Amino acid sequence: MDLILPYLATLAIFFFVYNILTWGLNIQFGYAGVLDFTFITFVACGAYFSGVFALGPGQKSTGFEWILGLSWPFPIALVMGALAAGLLGIVIGLIAINRLRSDYMAIVTLATGTVIYGLVSNYTPLFDGFDGLAGLQTPFTQWLNINYNQFTYLWVGFCAVVMVICWFIAQRILNSPLGRTMRAIREDQEAAEAFGKDSVRVRLIAMSMGAVLAGVGGALLMGFIGAFNPAGWTSGETFVVWAALIVGGRGNNWGGVVGSFVVAVLVNEATRYIPPIPGNATLIPTVRNMLIGASLIAVLWLRPEGIIPEARRRFYQLPLLPGRRTPAEGVGSAGS
Amino acid sequence: MPEADPFLRVEHLSHSFGGFKAVDDCTFEITRGTISALIGPNGAGKSTAVGLIAGALKVQAGRVYFDGHDVTRLPAYKMARRGLLRTYQVSREFPLLTVMENLLVPPPNQRGESLLNALFRPSVGRRQDAALASRAVDVLETYGLLPLRDEYAGNLSGGEKRLLELARAEMASPKFMLLDEPMAGINPALIARLDGHIRRLRDQSGITFLLVEHNLDVVERICDQVVVMALGRTLAEGSMAELRQNPEVVRAYLGGGLDERAVG
Repeated sequence: MDLILPYLATLAIFFFVYNILTWGLNIQFGYAGVLDFTFITFVACGAYFSGVFALGPGQKSTGFEWILGLSWPFPIALVMGALAAGLLGIVIGLIAINRLRSDYMAIVTLATGTVIYGLVSNYTPLFDGFDGLAGLQTPFTQWLNINYNQFTYLWVGFCAVVMVICWFIAQRILNSPLGRTMRAIREDQEAAEAFGKDSVRVRLIAMSMGAVLAGVGGALLMGFIGAFNPAGWTSGETFVVWAALIVGGRGNNWGGVVGSFVVAVLVNEATRYIPPIPGNATLIPTVRNMLIGASLIAVLWLRPEGIIPEARRRFYQLPLLPGRRTPAEGVGSAGS
Repeated sequence: MPEADPFLRVEHLSHSFGGFKAVDDCTFEITRGTISALIGPNGAGKSTAVGLIAGALKVQAGRVYFDGHDVTRLPAYKMARRGLLRTYQVSREFPLLTVMENLLVPPPNQRGESLLNALFRPSVGRRQDAALASRAVDVLETYGLLPLRDEYAGNLSGGEKRLLELARAEMASPKFMLLDEPMAGINPALIARLDGHIRRLRDQSGITFLLVEHNLDVVERICDQVVVMALGRTLAEGSMAELRQNPEVVRAYLGGGLDERAVG
């Protein structure tokens, strides 16, 4: 029991964080059709910035150096991390979305992310290069006098609260006229522009709101692990989130939940806890990647729209003016 | 040719793709409140001209005036906001949106499209949607598409998609409709319905039309004015009857089939 509960709590934290990440990518790709192949860069941005807002000042003499170092309370640092990721979303969006069609957008996001990765991991004054940030005191513990296991349970609750807020953000965008316009642009960008929709503005909103959720997820990881370095956000990590979204079903946030459970928890995180086989240190990670790839292929063959496809918005779900005839009467009168 | 009140005026428009001059010094104007046609053989540059006017293509040379303003090089979404609505040679419905949703996208000035309203005041968008939805019900009923309102637009038949294009266009409340072959590939009964809708929109809402059209029977029936293009430039302008007397037009486009059609 002493081992199982903290283990389950850890899995729950990863599940909640991956839900947030999958919804973020869903806003970008599932709603607006933006092919963001550097999603993990926004996660990293949230993690790094929440880290340097919450950590104390770094010192070059001790070999730990980073910008800011403001020792702010973690919840505020989390918001700053999310905002930083949202800003980066706008910057990368301006490079990739402006005047580019989706296939080129994919290449440009990937390239931009690679440039940022090279910069962050080599330029140590920013986030201490390859060593990364470390030594963040577990949030809340200085006020609450709890041990590490108790902190883990507390963090499950904190992640759950943040996740619910992110759910409302994602759902409200999806169900608004803004979400409808995003989906129209995803379906046919040129036709949407012919109706007066500013596709660059709308896709930039999708890009930055998705990046905000990515940043929130990254900050939650930073708070939990207390450290973050470039090994944690290689471009392969982007495709774990992509796989989760495609497997679960794009355009539908419940699909994101299913996908993040199957891919990110069941396959990706749970296998991390299997003890390594002697002499075969890389076997488990390799099997994990194969499983993710296999689940992706299986879904694309058998159910290309994902386990839970995008919901069809039926007419009775639309708000009607009071006193307006009901849809049922409408059917009867339509003939000509 | 009535000189008064040109709604759309195209002056010396030229555009080439690589070395190929698709539109070459094309000039014409469209009078407010008319239904006009742009005709010409395949490859005459009609669709390119439509793209240039609508802002989907960037004008390389020449000018476009719309509703009294120089709109050369204005991007497509800004042209749409000025009241110009264009459709495409192939139907461009939003396949994974329902028919109803397809009609809710076009209306301009939707306050629910602002991020702040979407996040913090969803009731703003819902209220506006309610008004738009009840208008959309009327429009769908007019086009006979109401029973299909919950269907994905991508599942409609070719003819239904053509009707949906016009229904969607009507929801945008434009001043000017630029329709690129709205009757392509549909049966005569449906053609009659579509041209009925076009005349209704002109008469009731005062919308000015410019149609790219190959079906000369339709052009004869509903168009007040015809512009003939060939090899990227304007060959002639006038009524269909006048153009039939023009030997250049007959040679370039109308060809041998003209006599039978003129008699019928």
